[in-house]
Amino acid sequence: MNKPILNYFFLPFIMVFCVIFFSAYVESSPAEIKFPYKNAGLSEREAAAHLLNRFSFGSRPGEIDEVVKIGLEKWFLQQLAANQKDERLNKMLSSYDAINLSNAEVIKIFPKNAQLVRWAIRDGVIDKDSVNLSDRKKYREQIAAYMREKGYKPQAELFRQMINQKILRAAYSNNQLQEVLSDFWFNHFNVSITKNISAEYIPAYERDVIRPRVFGQFSDLLIATAKSPAMLFFLDNFSSSGTEENTKRPLNANVQMQMPKVSSMQMGDSTSIRSQVLSKLQENRKNQGLNENYAREVMELHTLGVDGGYSQSDVTQAARILTGWSVAPLDNSYGAPLKKMIDKVGVETLKKRGFVFDGDFLFAANRHDRGAKTVLGKVFPANGGYEEGLELLNMLAKHPSTAKFISRKLAIRFVNDNPSEKIIEKMTTTFKEKDGAISAVLLSMVSSPEFWSAEALREKTKSPFELAMSAVRSLDADIKQPFQLNTWISKMGQKMYYYQAPTGFPDNGQYWINTGSLLNRMNFGLALASQRIPGIKFDLLALNKNHEPESSEAALWSYSKLIMPERNLDKTIERLSLMLNDPDLVKKVETAALQNASPKSVIDEEEDLILDDKTQNKKVANSAAMAGDNMLAQVVGLILGSPEFQRK
Amino acid sequence: MISRKAFLKAGGLSLFGISIGGIPAFMAQAAELIEAPKLFKRKKILVSIFQRGAMDGLMAVSPFEDQYLKAARPGLFMSPVKIGNNNPLIDLDGRFGLHPAMRAFEQVFRDNRLAIVHGMGSPNSTRSHFDAQDYMESGTPFNKGTSSGWLNRAAGLLGHEATPFQAVSMTNSMPRSFYGEIPTLSINNLQDFNIQLRANQMNTNRVSQSFEELYDQASPGLLKSTGKESFEAIKMLKSVDTKNYKPANNAVYPNSPLANSLKQIAQLIKMDVGLELAFAESGGWDTHFNQGAENGIFARNVNDLSLSIMAFWTDMVQYQDDLTVMTMTEFGRTVKQNGTGGTDHGRASCNFILGNDVRGGLVHGKMAPLAIENLEDGRDLAVTTDFRSIFSEVAEKHLLISNKNQTLFPGFEGGNIGVMRG
Repeated sequence: MNKPILNYFFLPFIMVFCVIFFSAYVESSPAEIKFPYKNAGLSEREAAAHLLNRFSFGSRPGEIDEVVKIGLEKWFLQQLAANQKDERLNKMLSSYDAINLSNAEVIKIFPKNAQLVRWAIRDGVIDKDSVNLSDRKKYREQIAAYMREKGYKPQAELFRQMINQKILRAAYSNNQLQEVLSDFWFNHFNVSITKNISAEYIPAYERDVIRPRVFGQFSDLLIATAKSPAMLFFLDNFSSSGTEENTKRPLNANVQMQMPKVSSMQMGDSTSIRSQVLSKLQENRKNQGLNENYAREVMELHTLGVDGGYSQSDVTQAARILTGWSVAPLDNSYGAPLKKMIDKVGVETLKKRGFVFDGDFLFAANRHDRGAKTVLGKVFPANGGYEEGLELLNMLAKHPSTAKFISRKLAIRFVNDNPSEKIIEKMTTTFKEKDGAISAVLLSMVSSPEFWSAEALREKTKSPFELAMSAVRSLDADIKQPFQLNTWISKMGQKMYYYQAPTGFPDNGQYWINTGSLLNRMNFGLALASQRIPGIKFDLLALNKNHEPESSEAALWSYSKLIMPERNLDKTIERLSLMLNDPDLVKKVETAALQNASPKSVIDEEEDLILDDKTQNKKVANSAAMAGDNMLAQVVGLILGSPEFQRK
Repeated sequence: MISRKAFLKAGGLSLFGISIGGIPAFMAQAAELIEAPKLFKRKKILVSIFQRGAMDGLMAVSPFEDQYLKAARPGLFMSPVKIGNNNPLIDLDGRFGLHPAMRAFEQVFRDNRLAIVHGMGSPNSTRSHFDAQDYMESGTPFNKGTSSGWLNRAAGLLGHEATPFQAVSMTNSMPRSFYGEIPTLSINNLQDFNIQLRANQMNTNRVSQSFEELYDQASPGLLKSTGKESFEAIKMLKSVDTKNYKPANNAVYPNSPLANSLKQIAQLIKMDVGLELAFAESGGWDTHFNQGAENGIFARNVNDLSLSIMAFWTDMVQYQDDLTVMTMTEFGRTVKQNGTGGTDHGRASCNFILGNDVRGGLVHGKMAPLAIENLEDGRDLAVTTDFRSIFSEVAEKHLLISNKNQTLFPGFEGGNIGVMRG
């Protein structure tokens, strides 16, 4: 329960730090920093559009003008400072009651299903014999009533709120770069809801570990992720321990001796539960020992890169260094035995024995391999304790391979899928000189001519999330039901927070674009534009200053310029116009509409179900008259589904 | 990528007679009714079914002679002996009995088309669903960072021109097995594979054609080529009607998610769209509570599994020589029943492989008597067959791709177990 207080306690310090850190740039900057877009032949507006494409989730109407007015360099520094007011967003987020909970609170309120069933049996609410038996309805009702009584909520609700807040932040935050980078770094240090044991810690992970550190020193980010329950569970380090031999304290080994004893004492609910817990413990004990998963991925995926020059022996030795890095006991089945032990021995005593308590993180000295290790040629002498882990992570964060690996990954995200060695070299140098300061690396990237070159402009394919966000932002949409967007984003191939591998989603067009996903992108554009996605509202006419386009061709011209400003789309539009202007088209459409007794496709039927009665009646009553309204929506749908809009 | 372009050249435009700027598609609907000539040489097809949640292999295919099992599972043990009104195990070979709810499998087993591998599992002893599924699907039981799934690597190793339907997963999101560089398709319902507009058909066609134009004249590259493929794929699927589908050979699919997936896979196969690797899922196998014996949740699950697979097999009567169906599950369950009438996470389970080139009619693999000293960690059926031995043998014998350079299963040096002929 100390966690939130601690967080708020540090918040002012972090903010002060940020202000000091960035003021150096802000004061000296606009004069000194000059983005070299003119040399690349870009106008200021075109350059502003490129900046917004890459460092925001797409431009809102009029935003290019705003950026030009502020000045491109100054805008970018403002984004790096991430101190823009966000009243509208904060007001929206204030209605979500789960997104600011600490891990301890999450565990109290959102028990896992299996845990819930166990508790319900323990409390005599359901009979263990009724689980999985015939009367599902009654069983569900009993569970639901039990949850209401205890104030428990389903975990699905926790994840729904987390996803909604991500969408709302991306759509409305004025600190867009912070959101873009949170997305980037989360994906770099990926954890996944699919791993049950890690899932409930993900909201706090993104909020407290990732988002506050996206501009800072890379080493801070790395260490914070290493100590987070989400990562410790996701890559199994929480259970990694040395052998009985090498964990022994020089003088007495009381602590280890006590652990099993306490554990077996503490399970006492009923025989059935006892056997489950027993088998779980048996499993845990069996799993004891070295687990290399985190040590391997921290080198391969988080720092050095797969070709970063480490060996299997480095992995094993690093894993030994990180033994004992675990999660402080929380009020759940995993934490209970450990909590008992800590209560019994006492925190102060344990600290004297080398234990480290830091929020949700616990360094369990009794599970730490005390021997000497060597990683990448560096010797870590025996009895290095918690500190040698920090030393290891700092060494990895500052390694030249890491500087290059991270620079390349950033360039892939922000420049193009195959960034030139030149820009990577520049960024790598900055990374090394500035001790891994992420904002400095970004600044060196944007100050490079390669960032503004033809090889970069609109060469990146939007991820499904980026596509959806840029669409709602370009239409200035009012998002009442963010989760509806998530459904589409998943359909387009990005099930957010569920990517199973620690690699995170690949960041290249090839991955996102395939026959199925492309079709869903087009259908997303059509569904959004015709306001068929529930809870996403906007006013197409207002977007065009309430000027109704006189023809579909005119609509195409005005709306493609509104939605994709500063792009040369003349050819595209001309080609499409030819078709839209088919003199017979209106007649054909009308005829077709009147004869709409033709067999309905299944899709039509499904959609009819979604329609409310009023719309349904209206549709039936006068489908021909609706052709006009639909025309604009269809044109906008075409624009959103067009190849050009898939690029950023 | 070359192979996909080849597909376009070979099939797409010429076949469907789309002439850009010519007759609009909606004026030529009749043309779509003209039956297309068979485009693709029929290829071998592997259908993989993942049973998520860990199937109790000891209940699916039960060593009924084993007295240790009988003692460990007083409420779950079944026998092949008919006593009164009971529904006994189906005695396969005097040692193993098939769960009675899987009677649908009996005939193909007797016909030597269905093989069972018992004691199959992962060399990594994790009992976490997530980790075990992850390892099984990536095909690298000790490496989490493997970015691709084994079926995606298999698609890459097929090494011939492919269509967008080469690898199709009938799931909402892409399974781990399909992660990777080769483009694959994950789709829950084939009917969704179309331009969806709430408008009359003519309007929909118009919008569809506009998109086709837009993508056609996009600058050369990924979006342009994939756009083309998408529209060709739509046209290929035009004739799919999942609602009024009539299976061949009087096959009757149960009404279940798995059956629905298999039914659509059958439709794709019959349409000759180039399907080679199909993936489907079945859920509900994590039976900690009251798993039942003759009846109950486990019986319902295996019943659906066997009926769905057999409906598919029956429906595929014309294609059986090209087909292999293989099930997989992340691990098995404890030998001992737990205190809530179920079983907990264990180690080895069994899987089913169906096909005409399968060495069927046998329960493959090794299983020692279930005495405690023979159990893994004193509690679980030991893994005696690495799942990769089975998968790589099926890939080698059925799809003709080998693990020679350890590309399919990096780091795996094990050999075949003889579950396939030839």
